[in-house]
Amino acid sequence: MTLKMKNISFITGMVFLFLILWGAGSLAAGPDGFSGFGQSTDISPDDSELVFSYFHGDDAALYAVPVSGGKAELLAKPEEGKSYHNPKFSPDGESIAFIEQWESEERQYSQLRIFDRNSQTVKQRINTSGYVTEGAFSPDGKSLYFLKADVYKNYSPIASERPHDFDIFRMDLESGKTERITDQKAYDMSSLEVTSSGDKLMYKTYQSNDQLVFLSLKDNSKERMVPVGDFASGTPVISSPTLSPDGKSIVFSDVAAKDENGTFVYEAFRMDLETKQAEQLTNFHEHVTSPVYFHNADKLIVTINKNFAGADPEYSYWAISADGERQDRLEIKMPEADRS
Amino acid sequence: MTNIEKHVEKILEHMQSPHDEREDIREELISHLEEAKQRYMSGGFDEKQAEKQALSDFGESDMIGHQLQESMYPYQRGFFHLIGIGTILFGVIFYVNLVFFLNEPIPVWWLAVQLLSGSAVTLAAINISYVGKYFYITNLLLLVNIIWNGINFAVAWSMSTWQAIFFGIYLVTLILLGAVAVIRNSYYSSEPTENLQQKRGLVLFSYVVNLLFGAAVAGISLFFLWAFLAFSGLGVYAFITVAPIILWIIAYKYQMGAIAKKPLVSLLTGLGFSLLAIAFPFAVFLMFSGRF
Repeated sequence: MTLKMKNISFITGMVFLFLILWGAGSLAAGPDGFSGFGQSTDISPDDSELVFSYFHGDDAALYAVPVSGGKAELLAKPEEGKSYHNPKFSPDGESIAFIEQWESEERQYSQLRIFDRNSQTVKQRINTSGYVTEGAFSPDGKSLYFLKADVYKNYSPIASERPHDFDIFRMDLESGKTERITDQKAYDMSSLEVTSSGDKLMYKTYQSNDQLVFLSLKDNSKERMVPVGDFASGTPVISSPTLSPDGKSIVFSDVAAKDENGTFVYEAFRMDLETKQAEQLTNFHEHVTSPVYFHNADKLIVTINKNFAGADPEYSYWAISADGERQDRLEIKMPEADRS
Repeated sequence: MTNIEKHVEKILEHMQSPHDEREDIREELISHLEEAKQRYMSGGFDEKQAEKQALSDFGESDMIGHQLQESMYPYQRGFFHLIGIGTILFGVIFYVNLVFFLNEPIPVWWLAVQLLSGSAVTLAAINISYVGKYFYITNLLLLVNIIWNGINFAVAWSMSTWQAIFFGIYLVTLILLGAVAVIRNSYYSSEPTENLQQKRGLVLFSYVVNLLFGAAVAGISLFFLWAFLAFSGLGVYAFITVAPIILWIIAYKYQMGAIAKKPLVSLLTGLGFSLLAIAFPFAVFLMFSGRF
């Protein structure tokens, strides 16, 4: 074979190889985008149902399922390109506040919505100029507190874009008016909850380390606390903290150990509000996050991510007893049309 | 061109001799074949037959070419083939593994770059005569191949244990082969004219050490590139971290020649340049970002 022929056959062969691999690859790839359960859930006030989001090709819709597992029912589905998540039940169980998120022209949008179960429609849309990340109903059902970030950007060239300049706001559900509760422009705020007495707000913030803050709505005083315990991360990472119904404990997720690949394994911890001592609750040896207390039972539902170190998360929901003992997985059957 | 000249050109296609050496070999082979032809002619053959006989006595151009190349540049061609095909094979195995068995999508451009890098080195092996003309570009292809496989190594390291070990060993082997190929290629690029045996050893040693500097520069750059990509995704700043590697590769053209003439002095300037190359993006970065 002449040199020219050798070159031509080699290059042709390589082009074919590339096209074959590319073709086979795009056939093997699953449906576009991520499909699967979302991270945060909420339990209905009568402890009968769990509300969660389910992603279908990067768009998430809201579903409800009996708290012991079973068939999921579609509650609300967004338009294409938008996602519904972070659902929260109202105290009377008739409304669900959630976040609608979408991207338009390179900008991220995230706003608060309220879904009415009776009319099966998204009945209220509150549009702010900022980026709303979560909502929390007051126990008397009259107010909806929410966290709003003023900016969505990165402060350092090596950080990724995140919401910043957070503050807490309150919307009066009767009048629809919004008022500002804090004026801190905090670097980060999350896991907003209202105590069962209705007079304090709890949230997590960051000031050189993770902190829990109890803000009194009466006199604006703040009580800060950091759990003390045996954490693999030194100062604790207080991920998705939640207050128990009796107001005596906080369950949150933190690093318990490192697995054989060096990935942090997050487990659930419970902190006693009096002593600030925290002890490890779960031993899933998987990434445990987003704990939610039942209202009238000594149980919680947590979200497990089986693919924490991977590109796409693989979430499932598990019921645990308040002392971390029994663990049952919620077997959820998605409606035909929406399964991936 | 006469048949003899054509035959000799075909032989030379298999050799990576630089220009002067190529000329010498061409003259020698042609005169050897002409002599043989003359002998046959004076033995009674006509010109055409004499030529044919001389050529057939001499041997197939492919075989002779291979033998000459191997005797003067042992294993060089083999190295290029091994690295090139090894790179392509890695691309196929890794792609099939990730897409079909792990269901993790790889961007198609990765596959394209992987196959391109492997093809470039394989084409250098096929067209070995061009290696002799363009030593630096050959080194460039090899260095890019090494760095690309280095980046692959960083990615493979984060996979599950067995995969990380298998792909890790495969890639380290490819990288080491590439390094040896660059060192030998640089060594052959320096004309062994008036140099003593001792100095030849020094030149080889200097190429090895110089490449180690390059490996350090690449390692540091790639580490920072990884950190940028991990924390803030693809962005302008990420590419500044690659600047030292690019600077070093460009300078390598001059290093190659400088080491051949003054090995130890060039090593010192090489070290100095490597340090400057690393410092440069740091300076730029510190100037442009006030707070961390």
